Amino acid sequence: MKNRNTILFSGLSLLLLLTLLLNISMGQVAIPIKEVFRSLFGCHASKETWEYIIVNFRLPKAITAILVGIGLSISGLLMQTLFRNPLAGPYVLGLSSGSSLGVAFVILGSGFLPAVFSQFLLSSYGIILASCIGSSLVLVMILIVSQRLRDTMSILIVGLMFSSFTSAIVSVFTYFSSAEQLQKYTFWSMGSIGNLSWQNISILAVCTVVGLLFSLLSLKPLDALLLGENYAKSMGLNIRKARYIIIFATSILAGSITAFAGPIAFIGLAVPHLGKLLFQTSNHKVLFFATLLIGSIIMLFCDTISQMPGFDFTLPINAITSIIGAPIVIWLIVRKKSIQ
Amino acid sequence: MKSMISRILFSFALLFLFSCKNESKSETTISSKNEVRYATGFSIQNYFGYSVVTVKNPWPKATKTYTYILKEKNGLVPDSLKQNTIISVPIKTIVVTSTTHIPSLEMLDEVNTLVGFPHCDYISSEKVRARIDAGKIKELGNNQDLNTEVILDLQPNVIIGYGIDNKNPTLDNLQKSGLKVMLNGDWNEETALGKAEWIKFFGALYGKQKQADEIFTKIEKDYLKTITIAKMAKTTPTILAGDMFEDRWYLPKGTSWGSLLLKQANSNYLWQETSGTGSLSLSFETVFEKAKNADIWITSGQFSSLKEMTDLNPHYAKFDAFRNKNVYSFSGKKGKTGGILYYELAPNRPDLVLKDLVKILHPELLPGYQPFFFEKLQ
Repeated sequence: MKNRNTILFSGLSLLLLLTLLLNISMGQVAIPIKEVFRSLFGCHASKETWEYIIVNFRLPKAITAILVGIGLSISGLLMQTLFRNPLAGPYVLGLSSGSSLGVAFVILGSGFLPAVFSQFLLSSYGIILASCIGSSLVLVMILIVSQRLRDTMSILIVGLMFSSFTSAIVSVFTYFSSAEQLQKYTFWSMGSIGNLSWQNISILAVCTVVGLLFSLLSLKPLDALLLGENYAKSMGLNIRKARYIIIFATSILAGSITAFAGPIAFIGLAVPHLGKLLFQTSNHKVLFFATLLIGSIIMLFCDTISQMPGFDFTLPINAITSIIGAPIVIWLIVRKKSIQ
Repeated sequence: MKSMISRILFSFALLFLFSCKNESKSETTISSKNEVRYATGFSIQNYFGYSVVTVKNPWPKATKTYTYILKEKNGLVPDSLKQNTIISVPIKTIVVTSTTHIPSLEMLDEVNTLVGFPHCDYISSEKVRARIDAGKIKELGNNQDLNTEVILDLQPNVIIGYGIDNKNPTLDNLQKSGLKVMLNGDWNEETALGKAEWIKFFGALYGKQKQADEIFTKIEKDYLKTITIAKMAKTTPTILAGDMFEDRWYLPKGTSWGSLLLKQANSNYLWQETSGTGSLSLSFETVFEKAKNADIWITSGQFSSLKEMTDLNPHYAKFDAFRNKNVYSFSGKKGKTGGILYYELAPNRPDLVLKDLVKILHPELLPGYQPFFFEKLQ
């Protein structure tokens, strides 16, 4: 088994490297592979524009794809175990709805604010800030609720209620918005990983690392939670503390990713299942690294497809993650006939 | 008695003859020449006592034509035309739904007839804004979801709507309630003069066809003169247009009116070979590869300074046109409530847009001219 895992991990690592190279070398402008390597290794490419596209456009996009893939997949894994629900994802607590509400407030509701505020809020930082505030608010509410509620299912239901509530407010905003505002908001909701500056990427990277550290702390409790909350208690696990850590990790991962890249569908829900199916284990130590690798690979692959190399149009990343991902998961489930 | 009967018969015969003659007079004094020369989306044919306005392309790929009868006072409309919408002209009150309809009202000096508009904040025209501030123009909500109750209360003589497809339930409802709705397709026109000629559509409503024709002819003359001036240019600068919205770069397709204007201003717009009238939506790298060395960059009006541009997207700074500060925008001229004047007025005044472009591209050809819409971003 250990041997099998080693082979699988080596294979996935190699695949990650290959998809990373594929992602950087393919795009709407055809750049010879030799020039791609020259640009990446600091030698000058034969065309200035090629070098700029590789180093300042495709490379940040690829790194963002990896961070998004890691963050969403890990938070999906945490949520599925915490709620013992195979349909749970990073957004199940209403975090993405919270982000959406923040962003909707800024994009669609900026008309209600003084011009000085609306100018800042409509800049990219304003949108990021609003998204973070939105998801943090929902997180705080979830934490307050989870102090009072004993069981995880109730928290899940409360999370869904938050989602409905925020979606309703967003729809009121959209009703009163102009076409341009609606277009901006719709674009944000389609997700985008191509617009981040290096500064944005470093902030996202820090958030992802913090989220991952907290996730690592909760690997043992997660294994215990698989057997049910009562069993975990009998093993001496502090359920409440574990729950806080898991919810916090998920929130910082999903919240920061939604802020920078918009709400990206499917990855958080599907990748943990792919990890479980591939590694045939429920050990979270193994699943953690498996999910991390698979998430990055899938996200890079989806981004490569969404760039539509050879065509003069691109597709929104959100559409691709679901179009490509859903059939894969369905096929795997049908083949395995069961999913835990 | 006999003479009495024959007299009566004779009078009837006379009456019949004259009534026939009257009717044939209205049919024979047709000057059914179409008064529209550039616009492909509508035609106006004048008859004795009424005009027929036909709108052909209110939205792309429209399959139906819409016929409206503008009946003058005491004008007789033939039975064969009575199934169409009949509007008594000159109208006294109007509701329009697009800012592009506003300049025609202003040029025809009929701003006082406007009683309602959806999303008043978009309007830049100072005359109209003054009337909004005075509470004389009612806010009607959204174009796709007009406030029916307010419009019913206003009872305008005519509502000028526009559609993006054949579904606009609000306009249908207003029509069912007995209000007169006319569709306007100025936005779907493919040439600059075609767009501007829609002033004649409004001229016909106010019984001011002659005045509308004079205004348009003046615009046409100036526009064609500017094209001639532009041909004298010794250089043909390369042009990058548009900018990024989220992560897509939108720029005019090769046969759109924006692209044609750039061509007529004697420039080499880098995407002029593409076909279509809407916008291209390209990735950053495609645009960067092709337009990094472009001489001049005409942005979409999103930005009002170079810093604003790089704050939103640092990649912009890598274009030569940006480095050389050759970036132009029309976002400077705004109405009191933030509506960009260009969107409202440019379709009506292609002469000014073209002059602006010629001044930007070949400043030596128009020495005394100050651009009206565009300004260089600092």
